Amino acid sequence: MMLPPFNAWRFSRRFDAARKAAPEGPLRDFYEAGHPGFATPVEDLEMIAIDLETDGLDFDHSALLEAGLVAMRHDRVFAGTGKRIRIRPPAALSEASVVIHRITDEALKDALDEEAALAKLLPMLAGKVLVAHFAEIETGFLDAACRRVYDAPFIAPFVCTMALENRWFPRPRAADGLRLAKLRAQYGLPAYRGHDGLVDALACAELLIAQLAVRNSGPTLGDILRR
Amino acid sequence: MQDAPETLEIAEFLRQHPPFGGLSDAELAALIRALEVRYYRRGSTIISAGDENDWFSMVRSGAVELRLGGSDLNARLGEGGCFGYPSLLRDGRAQNEAVALEDSLVYRIAKPAFLATIRSHPEFRAFFEIDEAVRLRRAVDRMRQVASASEGSADTLGAHASIGSLVRRTGIVTGDPGMAVYEAARLMTREDVSTLPICRDGRLIGIVTDKDLRRRVLGVGLNLSSPVSAIMTKEPVTAVPDTPILTALITMAERHIHHLPILDPAGEVIAIVSSNDILSQLGSNALHIAKAISASADSGQVADATSQLPQALTGLVAAGVDADHVSRYVSTIGEGAHRHLLKLGEEKLGPPPVPYALACFGSLARAEQALGSDQDNGFVFGEGYDTAQHDAYFAELARHLCDGLNAAGYRYCPGNIMATNPTYRRTAEEWADIFRSWIESPDPQAVLESTIFFDMRALAGEKSLVEGLRREVFAEAAKNGIFLSFIARAAATTRVPLGFFRNFLLQDDADEGRVLDLKTQAIAPIVDIARTHALAKKLVATNTMERLSGAADSESLPRDAARDLAACFEFVRDVRFRHQAEQIVRGEPPSNKLDPASLSRFDREHLRDAFKLIRDQLEKLRSQFAGGVT
Repeated sequence: MMLPPFNAWRFSRRFDAARKAAPEGPLRDFYEAGHPGFATPVEDLEMIAIDLETDGLDFDHSALLEAGLVAMRHDRVFAGTGKRIRIRPPAALSEASVVIHRITDEALKDALDEEAALAKLLPMLAGKVLVAHFAEIETGFLDAACRRVYDAPFIAPFVCTMALENRWFPRPRAADGLRLAKLRAQYGLPAYRGHDGLVDALACAELLIAQLAVRNSGPTLGDILRR
Repeated sequence: MQDAPETLEIAEFLRQHPPFGGLSDAELAALIRALEVRYYRRGSTIISAGDENDWFSMVRSGAVELRLGGSDLNARLGEGGCFGYPSLLRDGRAQNEAVALEDSLVYRIAKPAFLATIRSHPEFRAFFEIDEAVRLRRAVDRMRQVASASEGSADTLGAHASIGSLVRRTGIVTGDPGMAVYEAARLMTREDVSTLPICRDGRLIGIVTDKDLRRRVLGVGLNLSSPVSAIMTKEPVTAVPDTPILTALITMAERHIHHLPILDPAGEVIAIVSSNDILSQLGSNALHIAKAISASADSGQVADATSQLPQALTGLVAAGVDADHVSRYVSTIGEGAHRHLLKLGEEKLGPPPVPYALACFGSLARAEQALGSDQDNGFVFGEGYDTAQHDAYFAELARHLCDGLNAAGYRYCPGNIMATNPTYRRTAEEWADIFRSWIESPDPQAVLESTIFFDMRALAGEKSLVEGLRREVFAEAAKNGIFLSFIARAAATTRVPLGFFRNFLLQDDADEGRVLDLKTQAIAPIVDIARTHALAKKLVATNTMERLSGAADSESLPRDAARDLAACFEFVRDVRFRHQAEQIVRGEPPSNKLDPASLSRFDREHLRDAFKLIRDQLEKLRSQFAGGVT
């Protein structure tokens, strides 16, 4: 099933508007690389799974701590491309996030400030389809960060594995039934330790190849994009 | 700047699996850079036989079945199982088909990175060498290391230690052959020793014990001024410090001796080790059984003595004694029981009217007995035997022997290959005729049933009768190519488990071929291979390990193949003895059958290698002796 045309049209319009709003530099370059057409078969897509670790859920006031990324295609994850970018938060870390994310001052030594982090991150995302589990976090935080640094929005084609599961395989579930670890277990995927951006990105990428293997109906980019 | 791959989960997983754990961080990172994660749904094909293969693969989760090319042999791989590498190492197409049995996550490493690591890292290479034989040999070595490591400190060393480690006191007291008996007794009392080595010019020529003083001096009223050389045991059995404790133990059990002089390389006595020294090390009643058998007054006491064999075996296995020594030990006890029961029979019935020999066949003849063996025996008569006149005596002697053996745990032979059966009470000439009929007009069924007779050894009586027969029979067999081809073909029909591994990892498709019979499926084929070569080359040895090395010496079998089969033989027998020891501990009767699910992953994987190797060698054997041409 195709994404309704007006949505495709609306996405393209927003992407184009954002391109125009972006200043010269990494964000503008990201937009200039464009995005794959919605009719592209998933077999032809270059994708990248991304997971952000933050110290809260408020896009504008919580700190972005880490981005984990790994490149993939519809049937494979390129483990060797795994990257972790540590980001130095503007304010001092709260105790809680240190505990949850096992991030210590030591680990922050090689962390980049937000602008440098985006300058490193955006070229990796350019021209790709982004994949995340519960992609609201990634879209929201990347958008907020770009607005802070470049005063322009972040618009990108996103696949959300949680939304995809709900759409393709609807069924009654427990309250936490769509969590990454639960879904992975359903697909026979091994249990990973959570709260590490790179491991979560890998976990999410593996979930998508499992979902696509089970669905197996030759979908296009339009079919799998987050609505 | 290129970041190192930081995919922790993958690195951690790889590190947990043997060859990867030994890699440096940089080597591991290089492999992970070339690693792809793939997902295969249950039932989908991962690699087809004949495909170009560019990947080393490892199961991360789920299960993958390998269908080995050109055979019905299957291997099932679970988490951590590796496949696809033989074709990379060989630089050829895949020979095996790999199919996902469950939804599976598979790590694949690209060929160039895998080969680079193979080239730069010898241990990594060694692990993936296609040669199952090499892995098997390494497994046996590792097993031994584990066994010796589990012995703990030097104080509690087990049977692997050498006899030298038992030597406590230095500065040994010796006597000379010219000294009087009373002087020797006085010296022994003063030095508080029960054994006195007698030396001439520093060389050991005899040994005197407390027992000798009782039996050969006091008991017979010998003049105390007689020279000690008159009562000493001449040219005693000796050992060197490097002799394994177990070898010493078996020697002492076989020879019924309780003191063993230890000689240094120059031939000088450096110590006397007693059976008690060894027993206190092994903590088992291993020697005691042999002693109790020979002291038995009737077959009931023999049975009492052999009833302790399972416990002794458990002790030896727990002490990490290797399978070959355990087999020889168990066989020594078996021989002792045969000999002593025969002796008791002769005492009851009077001396035999004509010369004869007791021959045993099969595992006891090969000195490869395990627990729960049946008895296989027969009588060979010499000059002057007359059925009408003498058979009644031997029939009664046979009944005494076979009943006694059955009571002692060596069950009646289901095939009735026993001296109680008139068919197996024959003169040497009649025996030779029987063998000749098998050799000259072989038919497949008769060959299958007769192989056991070609493992033949005299246990008691006129051993030369059996020796002569064996020599004659082997000479006839060696020159009959058609017979040899039948023997080789009979070996090749042995059922090495094929579809068996299908049931290995998953519990949910049980019920088919769940039981592995180590004796018929793994041990017998190797015995058959060794026997075929022994017949072809007229080898005197009956022991399989000795036959294999004899086959290599006579170039009937390539040296590598002989070594691989020997390693294989030792491995499967080790699995059997450990299995039997566990059964004994659980109070079950020891058997050769086991549930594959009870095997450790280590044993399972190496059994798979062993079966593959055995199969290959069976096929080679068959083609080597095909067509009746040697």
